[in-house]
Amino acid sequence: MKYRVKTALLGAALGLGTILAVPLASAQESIYAPNLSYRTGPFAATGIPLMNGQRDYIMMLNERDGGVNGVKIDFDECETGYSTEKGVECYEKTKSKAVVTQPWSTGITLQVLPKTNVDKIPILAPGYGFSPMSDGKVFQWAFNPPASYWDGASMMLNHISGGDLDSLKGKKVALLHLDHPFGKEPIPLFETLAAKHGFEFLPIPVGLKEMQNQSSQWLQVRREKPDYVLMWGWGAMNAGAITEAIKTRYPMDQFIGIWWSGHDGDLQAVGEKGKGYKSISWSVPMNDAPVMADVKKYVVDAGKSLLDKPEDMDTVFYQRGLLISMILVEGIRSAQNEFDTKVVTAEQLRWGLENLKIDDARIAELGMTGMIAPFSTSCADHTGHSGAWMLEWDGTKFVTASDMLTADQSVIKPLEAAKAAEYATANAPWPVNEDCKM
Amino acid sequence: MLYRITGQFKTNYRSDYALFPVRQDMFLLAVILFFAWVVFPLMASEFAFQTLLIPVLIYALAALGLNILTGYAGQLSLGTGAFMGVGAYACYKLVTIFPDLNLMLAIGFSGLFSAAIGLAFGLPSLRIKGFYLAIATLAAQFFLVWLFEKWSWLYNYNASGAIQVPTIDMFGITVAGPTASSMVQYYFVLFIVSVITLLAINITRGRIGRMWKAVRDMDIAAELVGINLLRAKLIAFGVSSYIVGVSGALFVFLWRGAAEPNLFDIPLSFRILFIAIIGGLGSILGNFLGAILIIALPVILNIIPEAFGVEVDSSLLEHINIMIIGALIIAVLIIEPHGLARIWAVIREKLIIWPFPH
Repeated sequence: MKYRVKTALLGAALGLGTILAVPLASAQESIYAPNLSYRTGPFAATGIPLMNGQRDYIMMLNERDGGVNGVKIDFDECETGYSTEKGVECYEKTKSKAVVTQPWSTGITLQVLPKTNVDKIPILAPGYGFSPMSDGKVFQWAFNPPASYWDGASMMLNHISGGDLDSLKGKKVALLHLDHPFGKEPIPLFETLAAKHGFEFLPIPVGLKEMQNQSSQWLQVRREKPDYVLMWGWGAMNAGAITEAIKTRYPMDQFIGIWWSGHDGDLQAVGEKGKGYKSISWSVPMNDAPVMADVKKYVVDAGKSLLDKPEDMDTVFYQRGLLISMILVEGIRSAQNEFDTKVVTAEQLRWGLENLKIDDARIAELGMTGMIAPFSTSCADHTGHSGAWMLEWDGTKFVTASDMLTADQSVIKPLEAAKAAEYATANAPWPVNEDCKM
Repeated sequence: MLYRITGQFKTNYRSDYALFPVRQDMFLLAVILFFAWVVFPLMASEFAFQTLLIPVLIYALAALGLNILTGYAGQLSLGTGAFMGVGAYACYKLVTIFPDLNLMLAIGFSGLFSAAIGLAFGLPSLRIKGFYLAIATLAAQFFLVWLFEKWSWLYNYNASGAIQVPTIDMFGITVAGPTASSMVQYYFVLFIVSVITLLAINITRGRIGRMWKAVRDMDIAAELVGINLLRAKLIAFGVSSYIVGVSGALFVFLWRGAAEPNLFDIPLSFRILFIAIIGGLGSILGNFLGAILIIALPVILNIIPEAFGVEVDSSLLEHINIMIIGALIIAVLIIEPHGLARIWAVIREKLIIWPFPH
């Protein structure tokens, strides 16, 4: 009897030993890319499809090509529940071996941004974060490709004015926004443009506690009768705004959201009544793109995806998740080529993300034709300022409703430089990239 | 055996009044302080500093502030988070207006602002009690957070509405801001927390503390024996808000590095109230035990599977974590409604008479 207990213990010890040893062995030849995900908490509904897309693209590359240039990407999620505190915990936990930080919330980005200069890990915040992060000389370690919120705001105005902002003179443009760093982000640009082109700009803040009940905000909309309502909403705020807009009979075709306000789930709830609602988007869902077929074949059909059902692949957010991972992988690839190495470091990845060249040929090679507009980054431009499209809800799904729009860089660039300089002085001493001569 | 107190005779008043009349208590505290001041900083990684040591100390300090008001003086408050916010914003304004001000002083001053606001919201406590007072402090909570959002002067008209901690040096060492080393920040926090805890122990066991306890246990009786209720309650509000304000300033300046208004919203208040309740109302030690349970335990549970090489999905782990912590809280409160500090007191009693139960 005693003997048997001993054997069992020995077996258990050996088993434990192997479990401990396995991750160590595989960690040698892979690139660790964590994602600060939020599959729990108040914003989970919008987070899950994005996280699934990011994860599945990497899974697909690991399965189909054995990773990037033969090196597997060790994609890992650290759950934050969109809480800043957990986010910082995740950042501290992963930073020793991570090549990238994907913070996924403006709060976490704010906290992590000053630390990146010390820890030397790039932040990748595709389509979110600070718009002035675009100034790569000041924000050496932060990247927000392919388009910033200010690009989005400018493109929305270009769309409603038909390309000539002076035609908005005397009109009233309301911005329904979350009263939070994220929602306040586009205000400086709107104010600048309103002063320049003579339209009236009316910010309508929605407090975090009022996201689900926006009756007072929509009362204000009814009273002020703005010609357009633009929305910077996230999570529960989007669904709340869309239902209130229907209730107050605000014309849907004058109601436009930023890319995070174009979530299929929010509009499926209202269905036909939401017809005509638009959302600017730097990504376009292409259910028949070659990359989708590969993801379906290698990940979804193989049962390796976390999707509830395969039809969830055909949503805007899932496919945007794929594109976000594509941007990261292209950064890794260009760093590998430049430094002639397989396992890139965080500093090499920074170079990679600074030298992204996503042109039409490359997009076609990736099997993503039409899903994203071409863009490229440089040491001075960490965004790329790609174009975007208007997606329109047709009652059952989002369809493309415009040609590719572009933002007016002549207004955005000076504002970026001014705000970036302001940040640097407020946080002095702030190191600036002196080598960048662009 | 280990905790035998027989034979430790007190031969004068001085030794009877000592902070720790029992030699073993003193020894235990010395060991804990040795760990806190020497062993932990030597061993801790960046991760341990940022997610375990520093936050536990800061949350324990905030809970200590609340405990003085709720546990000692018996005035329930739901506005702790907002008072922390007052401390943090006051410190931010002080530091940006007077960039050369010593950070230790700035944090000390910022507690005064919080104390002043605490006094103002404490005034109704003379006329209302219990749940009614809780509503008054809840009003403070909502009003102050609204103020942090709307009064742009508070965050220096920053476009994003958030405050960011600049780099601050003290005697040539960077103590706050992104380049500050975690060890310096830890010692900074530990020093303040140690000093305030010592002061709090002395206040609560002295004349003022007895006054508070009398008010807590029965305010009419307290009034009859000659205690000025207004003064007793206002001192409690003032001292409590001061400590809470200091902890708020530490929270942002020595730990978070940035803060947006909704950080100080009601979840933070509840979190600190939970720490105080689970740790034990009316105890100083309880705040630290409570903070360890509520703040440190989830972090530790999160890294356990990884340390053993078990791959667990991160969101699943988070769900399990929430369930474990929830179950633990309920278990603790069933076993000992007076909190962890009382559990320790029971253990200590048992140790003193061990191995002879009678």
